[in-house]
Amino acid sequence: MIAIHDLIKTYGRFTAVNGVSLDVKPGEIHGFLGPNGAGKTTTLRMIAGLLKPTAGRIEVNGHDLATDPEAAKASLGFIPDRPFIYEKLTAGEFLRFHGGLFGMDGRGMGDRVREMLALFELGQWEHELVESFSHGMKQRLVMSAAFLHRPRAVVVYEPMVGLDPRGARLIKDVFRRMSERGVAILMSTHTLEVADEMCDRISIILKGRIIARGTVDELRAMAGGAAPEGPDDGSRHGEEANQLTAVFLKLTGGTALQEIDEAVG
Amino acid sequence: MTYAFPQLLRPHVLASRNRARRRERGDLMRAVMFGAIGLLVCGALFQGSFWLTSRLDAYDELGDYLLRIGLSWLFLTFLSFLAFSAVVTALSTFFLSEDLRLLLTAPIPVRRLFHARFFRTVGQSSWMVVIFLAPVLMGVGRARCAGVSFYLTSVLTTVPFAVIPVAAGTLATLFLVNTFPARRARDLLMLMGLLFAASLVILLRFIRPEQLLKVESLPDLTDFFSTLQSPVTPLLPSFWAGESLFASLQGGFDLLHFGALWTTALAAIVVARMACERWYFAGFSRAQEAPKARFTRLRGLDTLVGALPLTTVRRQLLIKDVKTFLRDVSQWSQLLLLVALVLLYLYNFRVLDLDRIPYMTGFVKNVYAFVNLGMAGFVMATVAVRFVFPAVSAEGPAFWIIRTSPVTMRDFLWSKFWTGLLPVLVLTEVLTIAANQFLGVDPFLKIMAAAAIFFMSFALVGLAVGLGARYPRFNADVTQVAGSYGGVAFMIQAVLFVIVMILLLGWPSSMYLFQRARRAPLGIAQQWLMGGCFASAAALSTAIWVTSMRSGIRALERMRD
Repeated sequence: MIAIHDLIKTYGRFTAVNGVSLDVKPGEIHGFLGPNGAGKTTTLRMIAGLLKPTAGRIEVNGHDLATDPEAAKASLGFIPDRPFIYEKLTAGEFLRFHGGLFGMDGRGMGDRVREMLALFELGQWEHELVESFSHGMKQRLVMSAAFLHRPRAVVVYEPMVGLDPRGARLIKDVFRRMSERGVAILMSTHTLEVADEMCDRISIILKGRIIARGTVDELRAMAGGAAPEGPDDGSRHGEEANQLTAVFLKLTGGTALQEIDEAVG
Repeated sequence: MTYAFPQLLRPHVLASRNRARRRERGDLMRAVMFGAIGLLVCGALFQGSFWLTSRLDAYDELGDYLLRIGLSWLFLTFLSFLAFSAVVTALSTFFLSEDLRLLLTAPIPVRRLFHARFFRTVGQSSWMVVIFLAPVLMGVGRARCAGVSFYLTSVLTTVPFAVIPVAAGTLATLFLVNTFPARRARDLLMLMGLLFAASLVILLRFIRPEQLLKVESLPDLTDFFSTLQSPVTPLLPSFWAGESLFASLQGGFDLLHFGALWTTALAAIVVARMACERWYFAGFSRAQEAPKARFTRLRGLDTLVGALPLTTVRRQLLIKDVKTFLRDVSQWSQLLLLVALVLLYLYNFRVLDLDRIPYMTGFVKNVYAFVNLGMAGFVMATVAVRFVFPAVSAEGPAFWIIRTSPVTMRDFLWSKFWTGLLPVLVLTEVLTIAANQFLGVDPFLKIMAAAAIFFMSFALVGLAVGLGARYPRFNADVTQVAGSYGGVAFMIQAVLFVIVMILLLGWPSSMYLFQRARRAPLGIAQQWLMGGCFASAAALSTAIWVTSMRSGIRALERMRD
């Protein structure tokens, strides 16, 4: 469970995050959308413990991040947008190191590492240096590290960037399986198709404030649109995503851009 | 579409200008600090060369001869530095630079790209040599009351003198990149480090400094001069530069050597350009290929660290740090240079012939024990600034992993401290004990020096780790972090600390040895004073160690702000 209350972050006179409150329940995949510079990254970095809030409270699985940071972090998995990892370690060594940081040790560690590598289709790369990995492989390695210690909550930033269609499908499946097991996932993405397909609820942030929240259908209703009709024959997701794009642009004030897009298209 | 090559230098110039315009924390202090050190060094070089040249003036023809050899020596030394620097810089500018991917996809002829990269390499690899050379030549010119022509000749001599080794370095790099397996470019640096260390050792052995120290060999002037002249060969650009400048000092003009410099420089550019036109793209292409990286598994390390009584977090941090270090050629190859210098250092103590002064032997030996302690302190500071100070920065962009894990910054930084302490302590203890053994110093001083090194190691490693955490450079190359603002601040504080420690330990030790030589017992007050000095030294070391670590931990915790 992730709960944030009245979160504020200021840089000098600039307020990046202005009173954001959010609640991600166990088993929920919560989309966090917003245009560039809206405050998504700052919010996620605060939840991950990389930035200190100016005001407000963050709770991860009942642990206050300010007063009990180690316990909060121990039950959280963080997947950043850019997979910077130690290039001179092998995939297996990196996971063992990461597990060690979360207090994992002993005989079970090797099995768990191999299990995660297999889950993210990196098993054959266990003994290869990370520096020889592609971006997508590094991204999958970071994800396997994030799930290694069996977190109860995961914060993920742009999970599909740099992944091939097979990798993207794999990640979607893993996220669904984790949410079915009760893991709370807060996911920031610019790919509205992904948000539409995977998220139970979505929060839209603009200029540091949450301007809309709800299921995809609720957001459509908020923007004055309607859900697409007819049977789900596969093309429906694309249609829904287009609709979500319209909703997103309408809510975040990007309709002019969309009109240009349509005119050019 | 083509571009003139100065256009290709524009991004570099504009980036430097923008960097100069952008003010960052500590910029002013860094500028003042570096400026002051630079001015001090330049002033000392000017004064030194002025004094030496003036002294040599008194010996007429012999002075002229020594000045002539001295100039050749000066340029020979700079030539070796330039050659090494050129290879390392050329590797970076021609093959590893990020912007090459952009430039090589643009319609730019290789010739123009070569010119742009070559002049950038000349600038980057020679600016430091020029900064050191200028005050020395100005001092010589001033002492000889040289006219404008000497200074003009100096400039016109330095330019081709810098170009020749850079062209040779570019050719060497081109050859190595085309010869070695692809993507091993960084491994080349290790090779260069080895070559440089070896050449340094050979150069120093060439001079045979211990022979010059032998008083009995001095009357044999022929041997003395042949020793001096042995590395000066008329086939090297350093000799041509020395001769050209000497002629200019005499009011003449040495067309032969001046011409040799310029024609060789221009020919070297043409040859390097032709070679680049033929082999550059092939070399660059090889450097882009990514075969499986070769590395050592280091399984023994896991077992060894596993046996240590450490918490899981510290064990994993230690394994990660050691593996990362040992697998990064650019990092551990510098140890080779360090080992070469340490061997030279010990060798010098081994060959030091103190028995030449029979009545003073005991005294001089004990003075040398403090010189040794001071030197060991400086070695410790140098090792710490190069290998310990960058420990936090070495986490690089992957530092988020530590920061988002349930590891306190306290645990993290202390892990860095213990990882750094052990090698530094062992190295400097071995250095001090071995050198004191070679010297045969008093047993009291041996024990005192060993104890002092123990305390100094804690203080200097703590200071390096603490300042490294306060001034981290996560986006910089680890090998360059030591030269940052924090690195310089560390060196200044470390040198001051070593000086204070020597004062605190030297005075009571000399008092003790003096009383013992007189066979007089130490008075109560003297014993208290001695104890006070030793306790102060221990307290100072402990205070620096603890406060540095604390401030480092605080700085890391504040990073969340």
